Amino acid sequence: MERRVALKSMAVAMGAMAGLPSWASGWSKSVVAKGGLLSADQSKNLTMIVETIIPKTDTPGAGELGVGDFVQKMVKDCYDSKAQAGLSSGISNIDEQSVQRFGKSYADASKEQRLQLLQDIEKGSDAAQKAFFSMVKNLTIQGYMTSEYVMTNITHYEMIPARYHGCVPVKKG
Amino acid sequence: MANFNIDSKKARTYDAIVIGSGISGGWSAKELTEKGLKTLVLERGRDVQHIKDYPTTNMMPWEFEHRERLPKEIVDANPIAASCYNFKESSAHFFAKDNEHPYIQEKPFDWIRGYQVGGKSLLWARQTQRWSKYDFEGPARDGFAVEWPIGYDDIAPWYSHVEKFAGITGNKDGIDTLPDGEFLVPHDLNCVEKYFKEQVAKQYKDRHIIIGRAAHITDPQQIHLDQGRAKCQHRTICERGCPFGGYFSSNASTIPWAMKTGNMTLRPHSVVHSIIYDEKKQKASGVRVIDANTKQMMEFYADIIFLNAAALNSNLVLLNSISNRFPNGLGNDSGVLGKYVAFHNYRATVSGEYEGFLDSTTDGRRPNSGYIPRFRNVYKQETDFLRGYAAGFGANRNTYNDRSGLGESLKAGLAETKYGNWSVGSHMMGETIPKESNYVALDKSEKDPFGMPKLRISVGYDDNDEKMVKDYMEQVSEMFTQAGFKNVRSNDNHRKPGNDIHEMGGVRMGKDPKTSLLNKWNQLHLCKNVFVTDGASMTSTSTQNPSLTYMALSARAVDYAVKQMKAKNL
Repeated sequence: MERRVALKSMAVAMGAMAGLPSWASGWSKSVVAKGGLLSADQSKNLTMIVETIIPKTDTPGAGELGVGDFVQKMVKDCYDSKAQAGLSSGISNIDEQSVQRFGKSYADASKEQRLQLLQDIEKGSDAAQKAFFSMVKNLTIQGYMTSEYVMTNITHYEMIPARYHGCVPVKKG
Repeated sequence: MANFNIDSKKARTYDAIVIGSGISGGWSAKELTEKGLKTLVLERGRDVQHIKDYPTTNMMPWEFEHRERLPKEIVDANPIAASCYNFKESSAHFFAKDNEHPYIQEKPFDWIRGYQVGGKSLLWARQTQRWSKYDFEGPARDGFAVEWPIGYDDIAPWYSHVEKFAGITGNKDGIDTLPDGEFLVPHDLNCVEKYFKEQVAKQYKDRHIIIGRAAHITDPQQIHLDQGRAKCQHRTICERGCPFGGYFSSNASTIPWAMKTGNMTLRPHSVVHSIIYDEKKQKASGVRVIDANTKQMMEFYADIIFLNAAALNSNLVLLNSISNRFPNGLGNDSGVLGKYVAFHNYRATVSGEYEGFLDSTTDGRRPNSGYIPRFRNVYKQETDFLRGYAAGFGANRNTYNDRSGLGESLKAGLAETKYGNWSVGSHMMGETIPKESNYVALDKSEKDPFGMPKLRISVGYDDNDEKMVKDYMEQVSEMFTQAGFKNVRSNDNHRKPGNDIHEMGGVRMGKDPKTSLLNKWNQLHLCKNVFVTDGASMTSTSTQNPSLTYMALSARAVDYAVKQMKAKNL
């Protein structure tokens, strides 16, 4: 009986998911302006940056998982204008540094060169560039860790745990 | 034409009207309709039907485009709603928008509101601790506010009545300061919480650590299945609305139950303007309603009226119910209406770490936490401040990922979950003292978008609250330190009154019509067919999360009202 009621409830709820009614989406969709924060080139470079931070191995990297778009969306919608300007200038700065150091745009640089550049920024002394990079790195980790791929295949998120045990052994390995 | 008017009036006449559909209104509606009364339930917001109108309830974390964070534009435009811990991408649609529902803050006050069928019962923290006799006896013993006209024995059977139906998980702890109820299987305390419980029991004879009593079905009984509700699945995303009905809300429980009787008419988009007083009959005859969509005024009529608009809005409705007999608000000869508003002081927290049980962790999720019943000034006055505080308490095993480096090494670090120490935390829930100077009143000129007078809120902390914050931080820090917790830190977050969402009073119960609005049956002393059974009726606040008490007061008052109607006394 209990299970039947639950399943019936679930079925109805699934049906309700198809589209959000206007009162539910009114808080965000209509209020937040459409359109991106970055130019097409900058967007492409941001995707290169997030892919460099978390690259493809035997599993997808942040670029392939769409984390570049997530970072841009978060900064556009949830951050102040200073952070937004910082994102744009930070990406351009990386591209310029790439040309200076490697004679190639960031998009054309080698995998090793792209990684080297970001490592130098993280360890460097340019406060503005470090603040920009720290924001991008944190958002990249957030976007990656909360992506469907990672939550499904790596961290195994449980939507419906249906239990709480207060004291269990830590799993080894 | 004359006939049409008579018919129209007849169509707008009911046995009872309930104003509001939140926790207390839902209970009033359920009890009235079960007893056979044709009941009109008025809700100022839109309808929210169980499951169908929970649009985010089954969304996965990655389906929220900002991962539960709200856009800056929305946060900036709604500082009041955004101050609530539960205001997020998945639940924002259950909060009232600041600019659509303005009020005047004479002193800073976060008035958190849920304007829809079900009200804030969709968003509440679901903690359901009973009051004890010591709580009801507080004002009389300590000489503040007025004496409660009821005691624990009056309400105890009604606590049982509502607990059985709502479904309350809890452990029978046998503590006289926090009476046991009709409990379903308790949630677990985890290893560190149990350890703390033992340590505290060794050090202090009157201090207890227990698992919270909460409105979650852990062991469904027939009465819950009959409501179409199932066992709580521990999703811990309750604020989206629960498709299982695993926790109690008006939407999952009382409203559909009342609907099933065939005796309820639910009218959303109905902003109640005032209660109509019939000068000849010397009682209320109905209510005036502003249709939220058309802004047109309409009238509805009934023999009895239950006012359950939530604490401050119930004050607003009575203050706005002006007649020749009651020029200062319905039932307000005393001038006490709107005064003696109080709340819960949630300002302080204490945190720490524990380095034991490192080979253990928890599994699954728990929609509940530990609880420390009030231990200060319970049996006698022992500090330099009045009353005391309860506290939440919880422990979690910290997990983290290595976020250092970039590239493949970072990716490898993120793939591995590491275990840190246990973190422990507590937050205070302090009783505040109702005072005449903490009040709400109608603004004389400014109106809200519905044409209602704006509410002026003037509610603040006092010296007693400051002393209590200090004592809580000292006492819980000491308890943590004695238990061997490390890095013990206390914090006063200075949150505004109202942010606790436990505002109470203004239409308080009492024995004397000269100093109170309601009698021991939550009935207006001076207008006998009007009952107020939400937070507005509270004489004092004690420390417990209040909703369970509103449920019990509502069921008890309906029982009395219907008996009085049958005896032709109303």
